[in-house]
Amino acid sequence: MKEIRLATKILKTLVKDRIQYPDKLVVDTIGVIARCGILLILYGYVFKLNDGVINGTTFLFAVWSIFFYFSFSVLRLRDISGEIMRDIQTGNIEVLFSKPISYLSYRMWWQVGSGIYSFVIITIFATLALIFIMGLPSTMTMSIFIPTLILTFICGAILSLFLYSIVGLLSFWIEDINPVFWIVDKAVMILGGSYLPVALFPAFMFKIALWSPFGASQFVTHTVYETWQINWYQLVGIQLFWIVLLGLVVYFMFERAKQKVSVNGG
Amino acid sequence: MNSNSIIVSNLTKKFSFSVRNTSSGWLKNLFSPETKEIVAVNDISFSVKHGERIAFIGPNGAGKSTTIKMLTKDRKKLAYQIGTVFGQRSQLLPNLPLTDSLEFFGVMYDMPEKEIKKRIAELVELFDLDSFMTQPVRKLSLGQRMRAEVAASLIHKPKIILLDEPTIGLDVVAKKSLRDLLLKINKEENTTMFLTSHDVGDIESLCDRTIVINHGVVMRDLPTQDLAKTFVYEKYIDLVALSHFNNFPELPEGMSYSSRDKNKITVVVDINKMSVQESLKKLLDLFEVEDIDVYNADLETVIRHIYERDSTSN
Repeated sequence: MKEIRLATKILKTLVKDRIQYPDKLVVDTIGVIARCGILLILYGYVFKLNDGVINGTTFLFAVWSIFFYFSFSVLRLRDISGEIMRDIQTGNIEVLFSKPISYLSYRMWWQVGSGIYSFVIITIFATLALIFIMGLPSTMTMSIFIPTLILTFICGAILSLFLYSIVGLLSFWIEDINPVFWIVDKAVMILGGSYLPVALFPAFMFKIALWSPFGASQFVTHTVYETWQINWYQLVGIQLFWIVLLGLVVYFMFERAKQKVSVNGG
Repeated sequence: MNSNSIIVSNLTKKFSFSVRNTSSGWLKNLFSPETKEIVAVNDISFSVKHGERIAFIGPNGAGKSTTIKMLTKDRKKLAYQIGTVFGQRSQLLPNLPLTDSLEFFGVMYDMPEKEIKKRIAELVELFDLDSFMTQPVRKLSLGQRMRAEVAASLIHKPKIILLDEPTIGLDVVAKKSLRDLLLKINKEENTTMFLTSHDVGDIESLCDRTIVINHGVVMRDLPTQDLAKTFVYEKYIDLVALSHFNNFPELPEGMSYSSRDKNKITVVVDINKMSVQESLKKLLDLFEVEDIDVYNADLETVIRHIYERDSTSN
C-alpha cells in the first residue's frame, strides 16, 4: 500500500513538473518526429521499390511496428542507467539510502514518471495522426490486440528497467558504464526493431530477437503482425522468463552494491 | 526508559582493496592481486543522549563518514527516526515549489495526508518559509534553500538529525540564521543533533559536546567548552604600545612572538613552561604598554592542535 502511494505520488509530482516546464515535451516530440519520420520516409521508398511488399510484410505493418518502438522509447526507461551512475558518482545515493524506501523501486518509478507525460501526449497525437494518414492494419482491430498490447507493453517496461538497472548498478564496480550501456542500448535498438522492422529480419536474427532479453524488451513492436495473434502467449512467456531472471540478477547485484556503499568513506 | 538516542559499542570497519604489484605480471595482478587492508573505524564506542547536540569532527579520511554510514546501515528501520541534511547535496525537487517537496517527503515517510498538511504548517512557521513557499526551489537563494533542506529533513519529526556540513557556502548572516533555527528545533522538539563540520563556528555555536575522531579511533570526547582548556597549553597576550614599539628583544624561553608591529605585539605563552603571571611580569619589564589582553586560542587553533598532535603521535 505504501509502495503504491509513493509510486502514485512520484508519478503525480513528475507529471506536474513536466506540465510546468513543457520544453521537455517539445524536445521529445521533435526527437520522435525526426527519428521516426526519417526512417518511415526511407522505408516508404524501399517498400515502393519492392512493389509495396518485402518478406510478406507491407509498409503499413512496418510503419506501426516502428512507431511502437519509438513511442515506447519516449518513456526513456534506458536513462535509468545514467541516473544510477550519477547517484553513485555524486553521492546522492547516500541521501536516498537514508530514506525509508527501496532505492531501486524509487528510481524505477521516478524513471517512469519522468517520461510518462511525454509518452501519453505523443502517443495519443501520433496514433491519431498515423490512423488518419496511414490507416490501421487489420490485426490492430482484433479484440485481442489492445489487451495483449498493454500486457506486453508492461512486461517490456519492467524488462527494460531491469536490463538498464543492471547496467547502472555496474557503476558500483566500474567507473564508467558508458561502453556497456552503448552495447546494451544498441542491442536493444537493433533487436527491438528500430532500424529494421522485426518482420524483415533474417531467420537467425529473428531468433536472437525473440530469445534475447534485448529483443524481448521491445516485443511491443511484434504486436502489429499477424503472427502475434498465434504467438503472443509464447512471447509474453519469454518476457516473463527474462523478468524473473533479470529481476534476480538486479536483486543480487543490489545486495552486493549496498555493502560497497557502507564501506566507502566520504 | 533509556535516555540515549544512540549507543555505539565497539564499532569496527575494515576494508581491503587490490594493489598493483609492479614486480608481478598483469595476469597475476588481474587474477590474484595483492590486497591491502585499511581499518577505517577501529573499535569505536560512545553514546548520545536524547536532545544532545554533538559535533563529530576529524580531519579528512579520519573515519567520520564511514562511522555515520555504519550508524545508519540498517536504514529502513532507522530512517523514520533520522533526518539527514547534506550541505553539499540537495534533496529537494528543483523545478517545483517547496510545498511539493515537503508533501513528497511526507508521503515517503508514510505520513497521513492530514498530518502532512499540519506538519508543513508548523515548519513554515518555525522556519519562516512563507515568503518563498510558492517559488521553484532552484530559484531560492542558498540560505533559503538550506532552511528548506532542514525543514524537509524534519517533516517526519525525527528524533535524530544528522547534519553534514550544513552551513557550507553560506554567508555569515545566513549561517547565523540557520544555526539559530537548529538551536530552536533542538529546544522546541528535543531533536538530537549529530553534526559533522569543518566550520568551527558551527561546532562552537551549536554543539555542547565534541567527539574528535582520527585514524578511525575516538581521540577525544568532551564538552565543547572544555576543548580549549584541556588541550591547549598556550595563552595569547596582546600588548598595545604606549607610544610605539621600537625594538623587539628576544623573549625568554616559553614565550614567542605571534605577530609584531610598532603598535601591537601578540605573544604566545607556553603555560607548561611559564605561568601567565610570570610572563606578564617579564613582558612589562621589556615593553611600555597602554593595554594588555590575555586570552585563549580560538577553537579553530585548538582543533588544529589536536589534529596535529594526534597525527604526530601516530
